[in-house]
Amino acid sequence: MPTKEEHQELLHKYAEAIVRVGLNLRAGQRLVIYNAINRGIPPAGRPLVHEVTKAAYAAGARYVEAIWGDEEMNRIRLQHAPVDSLDEYPKFHISGLMDMIENGDALLSISANDPDIYNGLDSERVVALQKANLENYKPISQNVSRNAINWCVVAAASPAWAAKMFPDLDQAQAEEKLWQAIFETTRAVHPDPVAAWNEHIKNLRKRADYLHAKKYSALHYKAPGTDFTLGLPRGHKWMSAQALAENGVVFTANMPTEEVFTLPDRHRAEGTVTATFPLSYGGSLIEEFSLTFENGRIVKVQANKNEAILQKLVDTDEGSTRLGEVALVPASSPISKRGHLFYNTLFDENASCHLAIGRAYRFSLTGGEELTEEEFIAAGGNVSLNHVDFMIGSPQMDIDGILDDGRREPVMRQGEWAIAV
Amino acid sequence: MTEQEFDQLLGKYADVVVHIGLNLRKGQRLLIRGILEDAPLIRKVTESAYKAGALLVDVAYTDERLTRIRFEHASPETLTEVPNWILTRFEEYYERMDAELAIASTDPELLSGISPDLITANRKALMQKLEPIRSKYENSSNWCVIATASPAWASKVFPDLSTEEAQEKLWEEIFATCRINTPDPVAAWTEHTQHLKKYRSYLNEQRFTALHYLAPGTDLTIGLPEKQLWQGAEAEFKNGIIGIPNLPTEEVFTTPHKDRVNGTVRATMPLNYSGVLIEDFSLTFENGRAVKIIAEKGEEALRKMIEMDENAGRLGEVALVPNSSPIGQRGILFYNSLFDENAACHIALGNSYRETIIGGEEMTDEEFAANGGNKSLVHTDFMIGSGSLDIDGIRSDGTREPVMRAGEWAIQL
Repeated sequence: MPTKEEHQELLHKYAEAIVRVGLNLRAGQRLVIYNAINRGIPPAGRPLVHEVTKAAYAAGARYVEAIWGDEEMNRIRLQHAPVDSLDEYPKFHISGLMDMIENGDALLSISANDPDIYNGLDSERVVALQKANLENYKPISQNVSRNAINWCVVAAASPAWAAKMFPDLDQAQAEEKLWQAIFETTRAVHPDPVAAWNEHIKNLRKRADYLHAKKYSALHYKAPGTDFTLGLPRGHKWMSAQALAENGVVFTANMPTEEVFTLPDRHRAEGTVTATFPLSYGGSLIEEFSLTFENGRIVKVQANKNEAILQKLVDTDEGSTRLGEVALVPASSPISKRGHLFYNTLFDENASCHLAIGRAYRFSLTGGEELTEEEFIAAGGNVSLNHVDFMIGSPQMDIDGILDDGRREPVMRQGEWAIAV
Repeated sequence: MTEQEFDQLLGKYADVVVHIGLNLRKGQRLLIRGILEDAPLIRKVTESAYKAGALLVDVAYTDERLTRIRFEHASPETLTEVPNWILTRFEEYYERMDAELAIASTDPELLSGISPDLITANRKALMQKLEPIRSKYENSSNWCVIATASPAWASKVFPDLSTEEAQEKLWEEIFATCRINTPDPVAAWTEHTQHLKKYRSYLNEQRFTALHYLAPGTDLTIGLPEKQLWQGAEAEFKNGIIGIPNLPTEEVFTTPHKDRVNGTVRATMPLNYSGVLIEDFSLTFENGRAVKIIAEKGEEALRKMIEMDENAGRLGEVALVPNSSPIGQRGILFYNSLFDENAACHIALGNSYRETIIGGEEMTDEEFAANGGNKSLVHTDFMIGSGSLDIDGIRSDGTREPVMRAGEWAIQL
């Protein structure tokens, strides 16, 4: 295990990379640190918040606000609150965040959530609470998904999450091991993390540019349990690490990130796709599941564990029966090579090719930010309260790109890139 | 205390806070303000509040370390930045007449070494932003202030103990002074409230025009407004709920007349002001205004506080607490007003509470001031009681009545 000083130094370098590469925070900006899932940052995020705050002030931040939350409070609420009160929501959280967004401030979400926080609770109540949260949160997720401001999602190790990942270790060792995984996958261990990130961002951009130039009309996936064709809308934009926010700041929304992604055509998905990792959704683990599509719509869900929760997710709204993201990640990605599940989408989605049920990012369609909701939908974009990633990649997966004239080209073979850039 | 005993007491404490302190009603929401270290109690209060029918329990956590990081790392001219939602948060809850619980467990040394100029500028900006809300919604709904034995605070109170031992010791003090370890806390609080109300009634009947304080280093006359209203223990909020706004509480209090305070008073305990300790200090008043201050430590912070606005150097509260109060008897300096103010007689610089003047809640600012009430961004209690303090009540005809002798009540009820 690293010494306390070594750990602190890594935390410091990680925070620097978050502020300078992730957020690319500008002097004079304000910064809100929160948790996109639970509003408030779990207390385990505290040491990281302290380092990020110092780095932000050093970068000239005008003000840093940290919004804290305690996941345990949600458990207590689900157990003891009146049944008809689960849609109560403190509106000032939304108006407060909107105020910051309209002012062009930056948002940092720190994920440290317990993957099993809702284990054993009444799933009807869990889903009711989550739906209310998503609905209230909609103005924020809409602004984030069109990159209104520079934003970033990162992780901090927490006791419950670490214990879930490394059940055989004692608490301190498990946490340190998770921190090491975070530091390595976010390049904080590199002598110069900022330079390492710039190099990585360049490499990902080459793949995105290649796919962008191809303008495939569809992708075809073939793997055990998967035979699936996914249409890509006209004007789809392949994106990677960096994006340009409406406030003019170029930022990197996820750390780590290994994916190249765009939006699928919400009307064109055919066949069956089988997940290759469990999906941690709303504090429950959905395992060994597959989805069957017709005309872009999920017509069948099947899961060996928590099928009912998967069905509830799909039933949330019309957009939850369709896809909003398609992402390509080689099976040999640094996160995949670690060989363990993180029970956290930020990491797991970078271990494997994946799809997302629900909302498409406006910025992944040319001109998407300016379209009305109806226009965006007509152009193939999906609209939903949800955006839930699930993993489908494996070393057995082949992906072809299908051109307008029906010709096929290999994009991935046996889980690896088959394109030369 | 075993872990199980502690957990049980914490649960009882939470029930006392919800049912006696806040007297939370079914259908109310509850906003809790605290520091991250308060989490174990906050979880218990949350459970108790939901069981009492709360619609929502929301916590606004502060990370004290971040407060210090801001002073150390942010550019000084940005320290007056106050985000809007601090305002909209209170507005949302107060407008709905929801309940509010504030937890005061701050590190007494949090900002030691930080320039008083910066602290005052920061506090002033915050208070100015909140002032309209504070005036509009004062006492509009049930609120309560309590504390938890946070590590930094406990270590300050018991510097010779390990952090863990200090916390356990401080928890014992909190449970004892809040009557949690009695067989029936509800009955104990009812009895205590009745007891304080007797003194409150007596003082309201006397209609003293002034109080005269005599003690080593102290010779002070505090004029009282004609419409003075003595308060204590229970409060009735504008939403009709009767609660106990401070746990613990041992004081009866009213407002001084802002223009009729003369003489010198010496503090008998250090004052923790915004994370800075002010020690061994005295103030001299002329016609209500502090004209001279002396402090062995923290004089500049005290001076800045008094200069924060026009009336920060005038008094807004006078409170009577016998030296033998359960908290005084413990002989511990808590470095926390919630406890120290219930150990000794005290006065407060700054704002007067509207409910301490008859009809004060309906008065305009001008009427309130004309009746002797003080309006300021500041309200800072400091302790002046001791075993050598005598207090006389002075009537309009000049006759005097002993109110306290050698720090104890001199009135027979």
